[in-house]
Amino acid sequence: MNKMLDTHLRQAATLLLESAIRIAPPGTREWGQAMRGELNYVEGSWAATLWALGGASVLAKQALASLFIPGGGGQGLVPDGGLFAKSATLRKAALVLGGSCVLAALLFFAAPPFRQAFQVALKPWFHMNEFASGNPQPGFKALAKRAEMRRDAEGLAFCAVRFQDPHESARLAEEAVHLDPNLLWVYAVVAMRNPGLRETAPWVEKLERWDAQNALLHLISAESIEQANVQRGWWSPLTQEQERAWQSAMAAAFQSPKFDDYLDRVAQLNRRVVPRYGFYDPYEVKSRDQIDLPVHAFENSDRFAKLLVHEGADLEARGDRKGGRDKYWTVARFGQLIDSQGRTGFERLVGTTLQAMAYKQLQVSSAKGGQRAEAALFGYLAAKFDPVQGKHPGFPGESAFGLDISRRNAAVVEISGLMILVFAGLVVVATSILVAGSRRGAGPAAERARPVATMVVLTSAGGLLFSSVTLYLTYRPYWYIFQSAILSGDRVQTNDLRYFLNDFPMLPGVSPRGYVTVLNALLYSGSPSFLFYVWTGVTLLAVIGLALILLRHFRGRPHAHAP
Amino acid sequence: MKTPRISPETLLLLEKFVERPTEWRYGYELSRETGLKSGTLYPILMRLEKYTLLEARWVATEDGVPPRHTYRLTPNGLELVRTKLAEARPRSMVRQPAFCSG
Repeated sequence: MNKMLDTHLRQAATLLLESAIRIAPPGTREWGQAMRGELNYVEGSWAATLWALGGASVLAKQALASLFIPGGGGQGLVPDGGLFAKSATLRKAALVLGGSCVLAALLFFAAPPFRQAFQVALKPWFHMNEFASGNPQPGFKALAKRAEMRRDAEGLAFCAVRFQDPHESARLAEEAVHLDPNLLWVYAVVAMRNPGLRETAPWVEKLERWDAQNALLHLISAESIEQANVQRGWWSPLTQEQERAWQSAMAAAFQSPKFDDYLDRVAQLNRRVVPRYGFYDPYEVKSRDQIDLPVHAFENSDRFAKLLVHEGADLEARGDRKGGRDKYWTVARFGQLIDSQGRTGFERLVGTTLQAMAYKQLQVSSAKGGQRAEAALFGYLAAKFDPVQGKHPGFPGESAFGLDISRRNAAVVEISGLMILVFAGLVVVATSILVAGSRRGAGPAAERARPVATMVVLTSAGGLLFSSVTLYLTYRPYWYIFQSAILSGDRVQTNDLRYFLNDFPMLPGVSPRGYVTVLNALLYSGSPSFLFYVWTGVTLLAVIGLALILLRHFRGRPHAHAP
Repeated sequence: MKTPRISPETLLLLEKFVERPTEWRYGYELSRETGLKSGTLYPILMRLEKYTLLEARWVATEDGVPPRHTYRLTPNGLELVRTKLAEARPRSMVRQPAFCSG
């Protein structure tokens, strides 16, 4: 065993010394060869290792000195050799190291989480450009074109439910259903978001034949009646006929045994369409906010519930206690329906609010009737479902990471993306200087710039790799959340991704509060400060290097050789 | 003639050369005698060679084994070393312990 260890140690020592000789400046290679020659005669493998370590370290020191200090500063350097003659090998090694860092950083692009992270990091600027060009959804538009060319019904439906332009959304929905009648539910999602569309009435008719018991369809009808009175942004009160039609639609909704917002079908559509088109855009997950049922769907519910409660109170006042309580129970039952069958936190919030409203009335009614036990029970239920005091689970705003962490991670990802661009730029500039300096007939200024340019390449490449690693590691959890949301339709986890993305439009230049927010996020929200120091340090080093090159170039100072 | 800075380690090494001034010496042998590590010894050897105080040559070895570098004092080197050692001796004598035999 010892013999084997001795052999390995000697081999390692030989390898170390020979590697050091390879990177050593030409004038010091003879030392290296001399030390290498003696290595075979050193007694003991540990002693041989120490011999090699000593030799390698002094060779490396000379190599560094010859790179950064004109003339080398080392006593063993060739006296009449210029800096470039001496440091060519080391410069090559530095460039190989820098190139390896750049290559490693580029290899990150092969990883899907990194590609997505980079896209997300640069999104705020693209958003600015998109809004300036009046095309806020270029990704969806391109996707819709591809889906139309392929005559892909699901692709068209995917875009239809997300388009902000109501008419384009309606056109795509029509086309999707025409190609695949099983996608009829898309009408409901589009109509709910755009109740003013003239297509709403015929769509609802078709939907009622297909999914007759769904309360959602009646909610859509009621909203379309309201929207009929909105012209150029002005709303005028409903006529008596319209009011009757509206009440009839709402009564049908409150009597329905089922509530389906079709968000499960949207999730299934995501699962199939996103991989088909490679549309891995996390903002897509965020855009589900637009797909969720809008607030107006529940303003009608609230208004109609209050109407029923009022009617119930009137009936009770007139002595019809049963009739009054039936009205309250209608509200409570609809609240239960929305609460239990709604998919989003907002829907459950509406459900609990309606229940709380109904149970309060029932509590008062029971107390008036002298049923104290029943009144206490309704009082308990009213308090339980109260959206302010109650502890009913499922309200929006659940997050596993917390807002501070999301804000910090958003800042780190944004800055990492920015720094990748900055360092890539520095690498390109410094490499150009090196190439210019290595050409035949390059001026003395260009030649003089080469050692510093090498340092800038090495530093920037290191910064590029560091920023890439930081971006990858910080964004990775969100990539998994995104995958999970796409594959399982899980909404709870996506809250973290939403908070993270919501914190994005805070870059300097994108938002006036950008500078302050980024600094706050980095410095005061538990962000690892070493990130800040590394980025600042590496950038300063590279920029100072470039400034030095420029200064020397313009001053044309003669190169100071070592004595 | 320009002379190098003589550090205590350089002086120690030169003393070893002076003991057998005409002999060619190997680096490892000098390292063992002086206790200097390879990273200290070789820069000194090379600097002394640069100032022509030492001469060096490669010695061929058996096949597959790298050649060895050997060193010997030049006449210039010998003269300088004797001068330096003479200058250094009184100081080193002062530093000797009171009950030293020499």
